[in-house]
Amino acid sequence: MSELAALPDLFPAETLAETRVRGYWQSVTLRLLRDKATLIFGFLLVAILLLAIFAPLVAPFDPYKESIVGRLKPFGWRGHPLGTDELGRDLLSRLIYGARSSLMMGTVPVIIATVIGGTLGVIGGFAGRKVNTAIMRTMDVFYAFPSVLLAVAISGAMGGGMLNGILALSMVFIPAMCRIAETTTAQVRSLDFIEAARATGAGSLTIIRHHVLGNVLGPVFIYASSLVSVAILLGSGLSFLGLGVKPPEPDWGLMLSTLRQSLYVNPIICALPGAAIFVTSICFNLVSDGIRGAMDVRL
Amino acid sequence: MLGIVLRRLIYAIPIALGVSIVCFSLVYLAPGDPLQTILPADASAEAIAQIKHEYGFDRPIPVQFLYWLGHVVRGDFGVSISTRRPVVDEVMGSLANTIMLTAFAVPISFLLGYTMGAVAGCFPGTALDRIVTGGAVAGVSLPNYWVGIVLMIVFSVELMVLPATGMGANGSAQFSLFSLADLKFLVLPVVTLALVPVGILARSTRAAVAEVRGQDFVTTLRAKGLGEFAIIRHVLKNAMPPVLAVMGLQFGYLMGGSILVETVFTWPGSGFLLSKAIINRDIPVLQGAILMLAMVFVATNLVVDLLQAAIDPRIRRA
Amino acid sequence: MTLTARFARLTIAFAVAGFISHAQAAGTVTVAMTAGDIPLDTGEPDQGAEGFRFVGWNLYDALVNWDLSRSDVASDIKPGLATEWHIDPADPKRWLFTLREGVTFHDGCKFTADEVVWNLQRMNDRSTPQFFTQQFALSRAYMTLYDSVEKIDATHIAIRTTRVTSMFPYDMAYVLMISRCRAEALKYDWNAYAFAPSGTGPYRYVNMVAHERLELEPNKAYWDPARVPKQDHLVLLPMPEASTRTAAILNGQVNFVEAPAPDSIPRLKSAGMQIVTNTYPHDWVYSLNYEKGPFTDVRVRRAANYAINRDDVVELLGGYAIKGYGMVPPALPYYGHPVHYEYDPEKSKALLKEAGCLPCKVEFAISTSGSGQMQVLPMNELVKSQLEDAGFQVTFRVMDWNSLLEISRSGVPKYPELSGYNISRLLQDPITAVVKPVGRAYWSPAGSNWGHWQDPVTDKLVDQIFSEFDAAKRMALLTRLHEYEVEQAMMIYVVHDINPRALSPKLKGFVQAQSWYQDMTKISVEP
Repeated sequence: MSELAALPDLFPAETLAETRVRGYWQSVTLRLLRDKATLIFGFLLVAILLLAIFAPLVAPFDPYKESIVGRLKPFGWRGHPLGTDELGRDLLSRLIYGARSSLMMGTVPVIIATVIGGTLGVIGGFAGRKVNTAIMRTMDVFYAFPSVLLAVAISGAMGGGMLNGILALSMVFIPAMCRIAETTTAQVRSLDFIEAARATGAGSLTIIRHHVLGNVLGPVFIYASSLVSVAILLGSGLSFLGLGVKPPEPDWGLMLSTLRQSLYVNPIICALPGAAIFVTSICFNLVSDGIRGAMDVRL
Repeated sequence: MLGIVLRRLIYAIPIALGVSIVCFSLVYLAPGDPLQTILPADASAEAIAQIKHEYGFDRPIPVQFLYWLGHVVRGDFGVSISTRRPVVDEVMGSLANTIMLTAFAVPISFLLGYTMGAVAGCFPGTALDRIVTGGAVAGVSLPNYWVGIVLMIVFSVELMVLPATGMGANGSAQFSLFSLADLKFLVLPVVTLALVPVGILARSTRAAVAEVRGQDFVTTLRAKGLGEFAIIRHVLKNAMPPVLAVMGLQFGYLMGGSILVETVFTWPGSGFLLSKAIINRDIPVLQGAILMLAMVFVATNLVVDLLQAAIDPRIRRA
Repeated sequence: MTLTARFARLTIAFAVAGFISHAQAAGTVTVAMTAGDIPLDTGEPDQGAEGFRFVGWNLYDALVNWDLSRSDVASDIKPGLATEWHIDPADPKRWLFTLREGVTFHDGCKFTADEVVWNLQRMNDRSTPQFFTQQFALSRAYMTLYDSVEKIDATHIAIRTTRVTSMFPYDMAYVLMISRCRAEALKYDWNAYAFAPSGTGPYRYVNMVAHERLELEPNKAYWDPARVPKQDHLVLLPMPEASTRTAAILNGQVNFVEAPAPDSIPRLKSAGMQIVTNTYPHDWVYSLNYEKGPFTDVRVRRAANYAINRDDVVELLGGYAIKGYGMVPPALPYYGHPVHYEYDPEKSKALLKEAGCLPCKVEFAISTSGSGQMQVLPMNELVKSQLEDAGFQVTFRVMDWNSLLEISRSGVPKYPELSGYNISRLLQDPITAVVKPVGRAYWSPAGSNWGHWQDPVTDKLVDQIFSEFDAAKRMALLTRLHEYEVEQAMMIYVVHDINPRALSPKLKGFVQAQSWYQDMTKISVEP
């Protein structure tokens, strides 16, 4: 969860090139195809994603339908593959639907942070000293909060709920994304080919569009992908504390918190949401590592 | 060196100020009137105006902030809405309890993480490396509060070897590090809390070891005919400083991040205080706890920075 | 589990048994409360009934105490710090109390009429130095009809009420008498007083770790020798999480657990724990808004009551509940023969259609935990799905227990947008049970008529009840009032709790009274 601690080192200049030639992406793809572990976990991730998207088609039961006679039943009970929860709702269906909110909590804040933080970072890296100082010192303030604390503080003050949770997580990630983008942009900016472009009379916007973005996007994308698993863990933690998704919505963190009361009846069932969080989060971590390796970017 | 210390300290001041602004703004993030919870339900309009005046809520926001900051600097964080005790007492007591947790969790995770990372880094590509790397990724991917619950079931309920909840047989006030009975209360929360940093430290150690192994001096040593064991000793020694820095940062992260673990084990630390303040919408406590934790974080980062500079002259020049 | 695994577990358990010392000292009763914090010990406690049960009536006495000595009859009041009381024959708004002589506070100061006057001012009179806003707020529910107090002589006082009320002594059972000399010695610093409280009750304060632990010891000089506690120490721990309470009693950290989760009861039984239950005047309901919104229409209120499948709710609670069809459990003498809303979703839908409210949008405030709230989240989710099956559309506003209590005190004037809120009603006496919810004098925020009910029929009955001093006739009136209230479907009735508690096999002598409150003094601990 404190993955954010690993501040990016400066990117080795040799990985930044005037243009990413086709050969580069080909070799990245090739390396990825050869990396069996990443492929396997990538497929698993795609499967989870598809399950979440097509939840209404895939889920065997209505995730909200309660049955008091069928509470906390074991695997396979009356056609419920993973049994039922404390209100007799089909656990598998709830886990499948729960993937939706967990993936939302995992990806939406990262996307928001990438867009906002990335933009701010590129501006900060490209603009003059004053703008840079203004942006980066503001980010430093948010950087001065441990990530869990900041997320809890913001969603706690705003009063919980999924939307507030997403906003809180976005706030947590924006400074990190901004730093990455700023560092890379500053590096790219000092390289020869930018000077050359400038000499040919290209405007700032053109330079950013043609030269900077291509080089910044890679590291930003990789860093963002590594944040998704952090976001999933943080988001489920918020729900566990009662600050995220509200009942009766299916959410892994929330399910963990409510099923905790029934631990003595059916411990296995109570362990499943935790396992789901773990599997999804490890998939994102490994795939992100794999892509990072294939793209040869050090973070 | 003194110059560096001064420069870093001066740099920390605007950050601390910014942090206090963020903490102060939390009140205004909260929906509704910040006084809603302390006003009696049947308060008349004049009474509300009166109380607002007494709390200074009728003044312009920047003035309110300076007023609040003035009190904070003097150690006055206001009074808890739910317990009516001074916030500073509540926060300081719980902060000490959290420091107790992290003071055990960080060194333990360093020992474990460094060993794991060193093994993996020294034998890259082997099965051992893959196991360690996998374990490290698992460590950072596990929801630690869930692991806490599982540990509690196994060790407290099934095996009955460790207490399930609380801090010490007689509460945190009488907690003693020299009492075996009290120490047992530490085991599960510390182990749960150490989980994530073990993963992080193992990963950074592995990376650091791999990097050092690629450096020229290792080749030189090997060329000199030094034994593999001696080389490993040199590598590990050289890989230590960056990992120590990561460990230092972890201390700050765990201080702020222990909220989930403390909630699971009802450990009376700052995280637990924070989660209760959120539930009770006790804004002064929320502000005070977050401000203190953020300051601890800023301070640990500063210390780590300075120590690094002291150890590694290259940084001093930067 | 295989035999070897079982054996291995036993061996490990025995091997470490000598090593475990977190079991409490001999003779200590350690209670895991459901409250999220230690109840206030500065007089009127917070944290709902648990506050009175474990802190209020242990440290303090009221003029009138509850008799909690029997489990087979409904609990009633008995003399406390007052030995006798009656209405002034010359003035039906004036109650005369004779005070108990020779009672001293834990700090040695004497209890006299001055202390009573001082205490009542503390909760009511803003001009006195002992006035304490928090206590003022917490005592409102019991002070609705209080007007003023006067000292007659050292052992006699008179309390004036704002209206004729035959049942005033029940209110006085909640007004606790704290030590004036201790408060004066501490210069009215209530924070300091909280760490040095002094009362006349059967327990004395030993120490407190804020938020974690309150330790009490027997007051050997208690004025009622029969109620000198039979254990050495009483330790109170707040544990809002049911699963934590279960874990704590299973591994010996505590030996008395409030409201274990029904799901954990089989496990607790198999570990040898005693599970005690008893009926008591508890009602888990939705209190409704009669000023605004769909529940102003009696058809919608009836529809909601027909929509509840109470069998399922009891099933959810593992059988540890009684189905609720009225304002009080059927065991109470004024239950009568009210109409019966048996589960009938079709009838419910028809009523909603008739009332022109389909789908009928309603919003309830609910809490995440709380004293007597039972398995509050799953139960609310179940009720929600049942109401929605019948044509309602339910939104919940989820909050913590103290916030819900604030909503409960403030009422519809402050929260007009709510259709109602879910609460476990504490109906210790008939006034609370059936009079307060309908009385005009109890309109929120002054009293507990949360939704501002007003109706000529109930107004008349309430007047008659207050001026009726003949117990049997009063009972008949109360019964009629209750039957009318159920006919009007005043609330959405769901279940009555039977309050399961888990006790370690070593605890002896606990008598579970038919009450929200319990007498902890009778418990002894076997070595």
